[in-house]
Amino acid sequence: MSEPSVTAAVATERGRTGSGLRRLALSEYLVLWLSVIYAIALAPFAPGFASTGNFANILISLLPLFLVALGQTVVLITGGIDLSVTSIIALTSVIGANVMSSAGGWLAGSPLAAPVAVVAMLALGAVVGGLNGVAVTWLKMPAFIVTLTGMMFFSGLAIWFTQSKNIGGLPEAFVVLGGNPWAAAAIAAATGGFAHVMLTRSLFGRWLFAVGHNAKAAHVSGVPVRGVTIAAYVVSGVCAALASILYTGQAETGSPVLGQRVLLDVIGATILGGTSLFGGKGKVLWTLCGVLFLKLVDNSLNLLNLSIFTITMVKGGVILVAALLDVARRRWAGGGA
Amino acid sequence: MKSPRFLLLAFAVSLVVGCGPSEKAGGANDGGEKLTIGVAFETLQTEYWVAGFAAIRKEIEDRGYRMLEAVADNDANRQLEQVRSFITRKVDGIILVPKDAQTCLPMIKAANAAGIPIVLFNRPADKSDARSVAVVADNFALTKETVAYMVEQARATGRKHKAMILIGDLGDINAVGRRDGFDAAITGNEDVVEVVARVPTEWSQEKAQAGVVNALQANPDIDFIFTSSDFLLPSIVSALKSVGKYKKSGEDGHVLLGGFDGDATAYSMLKDGYLDATGVQDVYFEAAQAVQAIVDLRVGKDVPGLIQDPGFVIHRDNLTEKAPQMWGAQVSGK
Repeated sequence: MSEPSVTAAVATERGRTGSGLRRLALSEYLVLWLSVIYAIALAPFAPGFASTGNFANILISLLPLFLVALGQTVVLITGGIDLSVTSIIALTSVIGANVMSSAGGWLAGSPLAAPVAVVAMLALGAVVGGLNGVAVTWLKMPAFIVTLTGMMFFSGLAIWFTQSKNIGGLPEAFVVLGGNPWAAAAIAAATGGFAHVMLTRSLFGRWLFAVGHNAKAAHVSGVPVRGVTIAAYVVSGVCAALASILYTGQAETGSPVLGQRVLLDVIGATILGGTSLFGGKGKVLWTLCGVLFLKLVDNSLNLLNLSIFTITMVKGGVILVAALLDVARRRWAGGGA
Repeated sequence: MKSPRFLLLAFAVSLVVGCGPSEKAGGANDGGEKLTIGVAFETLQTEYWVAGFAAIRKEIEDRGYRMLEAVADNDANRQLEQVRSFITRKVDGIILVPKDAQTCLPMIKAANAAGIPIVLFNRPADKSDARSVAVVADNFALTKETVAYMVEQARATGRKHKAMILIGDLGDINAVGRRDGFDAAITGNEDVVEVVARVPTEWSQEKAQAGVVNALQANPDIDFIFTSSDFLLPSIVSALKSVGKYKKSGEDGHVLLGGFDGDATAYSMLKDGYLDATGVQDVYFEAAQAVQAIVDLRVGKDVPGLIQDPGFVIHRDNLTEKAPQMWGAQVSGK
């Protein structure tokens, strides 16, 4: 074989490998692949990792994160971002607890306490989401600033409302929603299923993607951009409230600092799944995969008895790689260098 | 690319294939051999918790046991997940520093259901039917004694003092005990000390600093400060320096300063004459008692629900005598 043809063969081989990697990187379910590979690779090394008990533990802790990430997915699809979700979790937690707590709750002892509290939490989530949406659309403020200041305001409100105290004595009918894995799984599955149908089969879903791709073009095409954007933030608020129901039920306590630390996990998991930070792209299943992968990493690193500092660094690194991959995928998908 | 259903199936199979018996603690039994103890801390953000974590680790390793560790980074739901993880791994006992008195109840119930002894280190749980042992300092008594010493010093100056207290997160029962101890020591001594500022810190250095600066602006004549934890001392020092009031004891304009915990900063400030007194928690006593409680519970011995660390007050007059027992002095000597 002459020298030029050897070079050509090497180039072809490199091209094949490169295109294989590119195909993998561009795959919709890259993170699911990574989850499977990660789980199989880690199983022999992380004690107790591959056990039914641990799987149940991962599932229980995954559900509320999935719910709040679902709402984030909807907002990201429109090209926005919702940083206020953690404060919605905290605020709805203390308001709901204050409605139903046996220790001085507004409806203490009433059989209606738990259902009214759930409705109040969902309504409050929707109201806060709506306020975010109105500020982003009507006041034309950047989503980042609106939801960041919203996070500060509503977190402060939750702490002021409770004077930094937790609220215990929640009725069993409520606690079971988060504490019972089957009930929590049913809530998450129903919400996920609804969101999937909404995004893939409804006109509203198509509008969300249209707004995320190009809001001006969507507006010209007759899409009610403002209404769709506000609705996206309402969905995010309601999803955060649903997550709050699960978190509060698991902790059996209404807490003004509930969920304070999950923001990075929420955005990280959503981006990891493949939802784009730049809008116009996202799926419920992707988000589920992102949440699953992040929880697998978290859980396995704990089982490996690594310190919190190492776990935080590794998780930060994983999310950074996912964000970089998002940029690279856009470039590859667009045929750029 | 394969369908997501195939991948999910493969994932499920990988878990099922891997399903064997959960990890059993290596050779753990009740005959004094190697136990595995899961230690779950809420945070390692202050010197006290770092010292407590190290003391428990040393106590466990000195006994030839094995320690599994988890830190929840201030997230109660994450801590519940970590405790469940310990249970899945069938540890022989769990030592828990919960975020607060309420959110730990599901963790205690989960450990109870699995028959695993659980000991709360330094923070007790609310009253409930969940069974646990708590090893805690007597926050109320120790704070009362510390503040009483400060009041004595104030009385000796012959003039009335204006006081500020930095209050911790009131979801933490220790913070409540310290606040109440402070109030109890002041009650009856209002002729010497008048409380003019109560700064809620939620155990946050930033909130403490902002609160102290604001309080000093509103009441520039504050000359008596008690902090519910020594880890907030740097915030107080910074605020006092900014208004030119960071003076040693005996110097004109000295602000009477007291704290709780006994950390390395407190030790160095005591030595240098800036701090007047602090209530010291005996972290080594608490660590030893926590591990011993697990061992005793495993063999069915009676263990009281509350093991109290009496602690002690350290001040300039007994510094030389008490420093060897002060964990902050030990840590700063390393």
